[in-house]
Amino acid sequence: MRRSAARKSGQSNSIAPITSSAADLFRSASSKASSKEMERIDNLFYSYANISSGLIDPEGIENLCSDMEVDHTDVRILMLAWKMKAEKQGYFTLEEWRRGLKALRADTVNKLKKALPELEKEVKRPSNFVDFYAYSFRYCLTEEKQKSIDIESICQLLDLVLGSHFRAQVDYFIEYLKIQNDYKVINMDQWMGFYHFCTEISFSDLSNYDPELAWPLILDNFVEWMQEKRT
Amino acid sequence: MSLPTKRSATTTATTSSSSTSATANFPPMKKAKSQAVSACSSLDPSCNKNGLHHFIPSTAADNDVVFDSSSMTLDDDPKLDDRSPPPAANLSRKKATPPQPAKKLVIKLVKAKPTLPAHFEVDTWAKLQSAIKAIFLKQPDSCDLEKLYQAVNDLCLHKMGGNLYQRIEKECEAHISSVLQSLVGQSPDLVVFLSLVERCWQDLCDQMLMIRGIALYLDRTYVKQTPNVRSLWDMGLHLFRKHLALSPEVEHKTVTGLLRMIERERLGESVDRTLLNHLLKMFTALGIYAESFERPFLDCTSEFYAAEGMKYMQQSDVPDYLKHVEMRLHEEHERCLLYLDASTRKPLIATAERQLLERHISAILDKGFMMLMDGHRTEDLKRMYSLFLRVNALESLRQALSSYIRRAGQGIIMDEEKDKDMVSSLLEFKASLDTIWEESFSKNEAFCNTIKDAFEHLINLRQNRPAELIAKFLDEKLRAGNKGTSEEELEGTLDKVLVLFRFIQGKDVFEAFYKKDLAKRLLLGKSASIDAEKSMISKLKTECGSQFTNKLEGMFKDIELSKEINESFKQSSQARTKLPSGIEMSVHVLTTGYWPTYPPMDVRLPHELNVYQDIFKEFYLSKYSGRRLMWQNSLGHCVLKAEFLKGKKELAVSLFQTVVLMLFNDAQKLSFQDIKDATSIEDKELRRTLQSLACGKVRVLQKVNAIQMKETVEENTSTTERVFQDRQYQVDAAIVRIMKTRKVLSHTLLITELFQQLKFPIKPADLKKRIESLIDREYLERDKSNPQIYNYLA
Repeated sequence: MRRSAARKSGQSNSIAPITSSAADLFRSASSKASSKEMERIDNLFYSYANISSGLIDPEGIENLCSDMEVDHTDVRILMLAWKMKAEKQGYFTLEEWRRGLKALRADTVNKLKKALPELEKEVKRPSNFVDFYAYSFRYCLTEEKQKSIDIESICQLLDLVLGSHFRAQVDYFIEYLKIQNDYKVINMDQWMGFYHFCTEISFSDLSNYDPELAWPLILDNFVEWMQEKRT
Repeated sequence: MSLPTKRSATTTATTSSSSTSATANFPPMKKAKSQAVSACSSLDPSCNKNGLHHFIPSTAADNDVVFDSSSMTLDDDPKLDDRSPPPAANLSRKKATPPQPAKKLVIKLVKAKPTLPAHFEVDTWAKLQSAIKAIFLKQPDSCDLEKLYQAVNDLCLHKMGGNLYQRIEKECEAHISSVLQSLVGQSPDLVVFLSLVERCWQDLCDQMLMIRGIALYLDRTYVKQTPNVRSLWDMGLHLFRKHLALSPEVEHKTVTGLLRMIERERLGESVDRTLLNHLLKMFTALGIYAESFERPFLDCTSEFYAAEGMKYMQQSDVPDYLKHVEMRLHEEHERCLLYLDASTRKPLIATAERQLLERHISAILDKGFMMLMDGHRTEDLKRMYSLFLRVNALESLRQALSSYIRRAGQGIIMDEEKDKDMVSSLLEFKASLDTIWEESFSKNEAFCNTIKDAFEHLINLRQNRPAELIAKFLDEKLRAGNKGTSEEELEGTLDKVLVLFRFIQGKDVFEAFYKKDLAKRLLLGKSASIDAEKSMISKLKTECGSQFTNKLEGMFKDIELSKEINESFKQSSQARTKLPSGIEMSVHVLTTGYWPTYPPMDVRLPHELNVYQDIFKEFYLSKYSGRRLMWQNSLGHCVLKAEFLKGKKELAVSLFQTVVLMLFNDAQKLSFQDIKDATSIEDKELRRTLQSLACGKVRVLQKVNAIQMKETVEENTSTTERVFQDRQYQVDAAIVRIMKTRKVLSHTLLITELFQQLKFPIKPADLKKRIESLIDREYLERDKSNPQIYNYLA
C-alpha cells in the first residue's frame, strides 16, 4: 500500500523535474528530449522501486505487470528482463531499467505495454532467440555459484520459452523429465542441448538422431525412451 | 628306274641274312657311322668330293639312311669302278672290318635285268589274304608265318607296300564292320552284352596283333615313310571306332551297361570288375573314353549322390552320415584304381564331394555340430574337419565353432545361480575345446584364434563379475587347507586360470579383488604356499607388466620387513623391560597404498594390548622417525587360552572376538548394550562378531576366526566401487590429457582416442557422462558455434 501511494505521487509529480533540465540552455532539442525521456524513465522506475533497496523487487514487478495488464508469469516479462539484461531474477536495477526502456523507446507504462509485441517479434528472430533462450536459463540461477536448475523449474521454464515454438518436443521432454530418475537438475549444457535438439532433429520420427554424436546423455536417454514408448 | 632294280638285285642277294639283319645289324652300323665320322674328319684335307658326298649325309641322317649307306658300299663298288679310284676314306673304312682283299672283289653286272614273276603281287596277296581271313576266322592257316612275313617283305621291296596296306585295311574293315554289326540286337541282358563286346574286342586285339606281326615290315617301311598313314594297329582301332560310331546302338548299349554295372556296385552288388576294366580300357584305347563314357558317368554319379545325399541326410544322424561320406569317397577312389581311367579320379571325387558334402555343409553343421561338440566326439569331429577340408568348407566349420562357444559359454557366464562354479566350468570348457582343437581340428591356427576370440567375447559378456570370480577362484586355490593338491597341480591350475585372466578386459577389477584376498591370506597367515603366491605374482607380471604387480609385490615386501621388525622388537630393550607378561604380539607394518584401504573401526582394547601397542609404536618410531602408525584393529587376530569345563582349549579368534570374550572374564551375563558400551565396536560389526561366537555350528571353536577370511557384502561392494571410482578418475585424466594436447577436438575423435587409451571396457554413454561432468567443472566447453566440438579450457 505504501508503494502504490509512492507510485501515484511519482505519477502526479512527473512534471516536477522539468526545471532542472530546462536550466541547460545549450542542450540541443533532441538531447533535451532524450534527457526528458530519461527523466520520465527514471521516474517510472522509482514509481515501482522499493525505496530502501533502490531496486524494483518482485512486488514492484508484480505491480508493473498488473499496470500493463500482463500476467507476471508471461513470457513477455522474461523478454523484458532479457532486453534489460537483468541479472537477478525478480529484480530490476535502475541501470537495467534504463537500458531496457530506452531501447524500447518507452517512458510510460502505456508505451511499454505497446512496445511488448514488437519486443516479442525481436526475440523470436533466430539470432536473438538463442541468446534469449540461454539468458532465460541464466536468469533462473538465483544462488551464488548455482549452475543447474531443478527439474520442476526447468519444466516450467521450458514451457514458457519454448512451448510456443516446439510444443510437441517440449511436452514429451517434460513428460520424460518428470518420470526419469537419473537427473535431479539440468545444467546449461543440457539446456542448450535441448534447444539444438529441437531445431535440428526431425520430430517425432527422430530419424536423424545419432547417439554417437555429442548430444548430452540425457537426450540419448530421452530419445531411447521415446523409441521404446513408440514400440 | 634302273637304279632300284640294281639295288633290289643286290639286296635280294643278301636276303638270306637280311631278315634278321634288319635289326641285328643296327649296332654295328652305328659303329660304322662313328668310324666314318672320325675317318672323315681325320682325312678331311685329302678327302675328295665323292667321299665327302657319301659320308656327310650318313652322319646326319637316322638309322634308315645308314642302313642304306651300308648297302651302298656294296652297291657303290661297281660305280666306284666306273668313276675315280677308290677314295682314301673308303680304304680306311675297310680296314676297320676284318682285312679283305678289297681290290680283288669284282662284281659283274648281270646282263639281263631280273624280272618279277607275272602275277607276283596278286599271288602274294592271295597268300596273305587267306592267312588274314584265317586269322579272323580263328582258323589255322597252311602257310607258315615265316613265308607270310617274307611275302610282305617282298611286296614292300617291290614298292607294293601301298597296295598291300590298302588291301589289308579293306580286309580288316570288312571284318570289323561285320563283327560290330553282329553285335546289333544281341542279348538284352546288359552284362551278357558287355561280355560279348569284350570278347569281340579282345579277339580283334589279338587278331590285329597277329596281322601286325605278319606285316611288321610294312609298318616299318611303308607306314613309316609315308605321311598320314596309320600303323596297322592304329588302323585297326580307327576302323573299330569308325564302325562303332556307325552302329550307335552298340556304343550306347555298352555305355549304359557300364553305367548300370557301376551303379549296381554302388548299391552293394558285386560285379565283374575285370569286365569293366577291359571295356573301359577299350574306350581309352579307342580315344573315346572322355567323350563317350566319362561325361555320362560323371552325370550319373552326380545324380546318384545327389539323391543319396538327400536321402541319407534325412535318415541318418550326422556322425553316421559323415562316416558314410568318407566310405563313399574311399570307394570312388578304389574304383579309379580298379577300373576307371586315372584321369577320372579328380572329377569323380569332386562330383561325389559336391553332392554329398558341399550341398549339405550348413545342414550338417546345423544338425550335428552342437551334438558332436557337446558329446566331445573327437573322432567324429575329426572326420568332419577332414571332410570339410576337402571341399574348402573350413570357414563354415570355424564359424559354427565360434557360435557354439558363444552359445555354450553364455550359459556358463550369464547364469547368476551358477556363479559359484563359473570359473571351474570355464576351465573345463576351455580344456575340452583345447582337446578338440588338438585332436580333431589338427591344431588349425585360425581355429585356435577363433577359440580365443570367442572366449574373450563371452568372458566379457558380463561386466566385472567374471574378473571377480577368477580372483576368488585363485584365492580358494592359494588359501591354506587345500589338502591333496600337489605343488605341480597347483601350478598347473594357476596357469590355466591365467589363460582365462588373459581374456578379461577389466583387469582392474581382478586386481582389486585379488589384492583384497591376498591381503587377507598374508595378514591372517592363511596362504598355502608363499612360493605359489610368488609364482602367481610373477605370472601376472609377465602378463601385465610390473606396473600391474608393483603393489602386490610391495605387500610381500611389507610382510617380510614386518618379520624383521618383530624380531628386532623382541630383542629391543623396550620390549624386554616394559612389556606386559602373559601375552605375545606380532605386528604387520603395512605401507598405505600397497594394501587395500580398510575403513577404520573403533574398538576399546583390553589394557594389556593398549600398552603393548604403545610400546611397539615407541620402538618403531624410534627406528623410523617421521612415520605415522595407524592401528587396523579389524585385521587383528589372536590365540586365546581358555579353560572350559572339559579342559583347556586354544581359541583362534579375531581381535574383535577377543575383545568380546575377554569381557566374560569378569562377568557371567552381559546384554548387547553392555558389550557395545564396553567395546565400543560399531553396531553392525559387533552383531557379526557375536553371531560368529554364539550361533556357529560349534560355538567358540578353533576355527572361529574364519569370520575374518570371509568376504562381507560391504567388502565386496566397496571393492567394486573402488574400482569404478578409480576408472572414473582414469577417464577424467585421459580426457583432460587428450584435450590438453589437442586444445580443440570433435566429440567423435575424442571418443576414439579414449577407447584407444583406456584399458578397461567402458560404454560410450559412460564417457559422455565424464565429458559432461568436465564441462560442468569447466575443464572443457562446448564450442559456441558447433556443439560437436569441445574446447579445452586452460
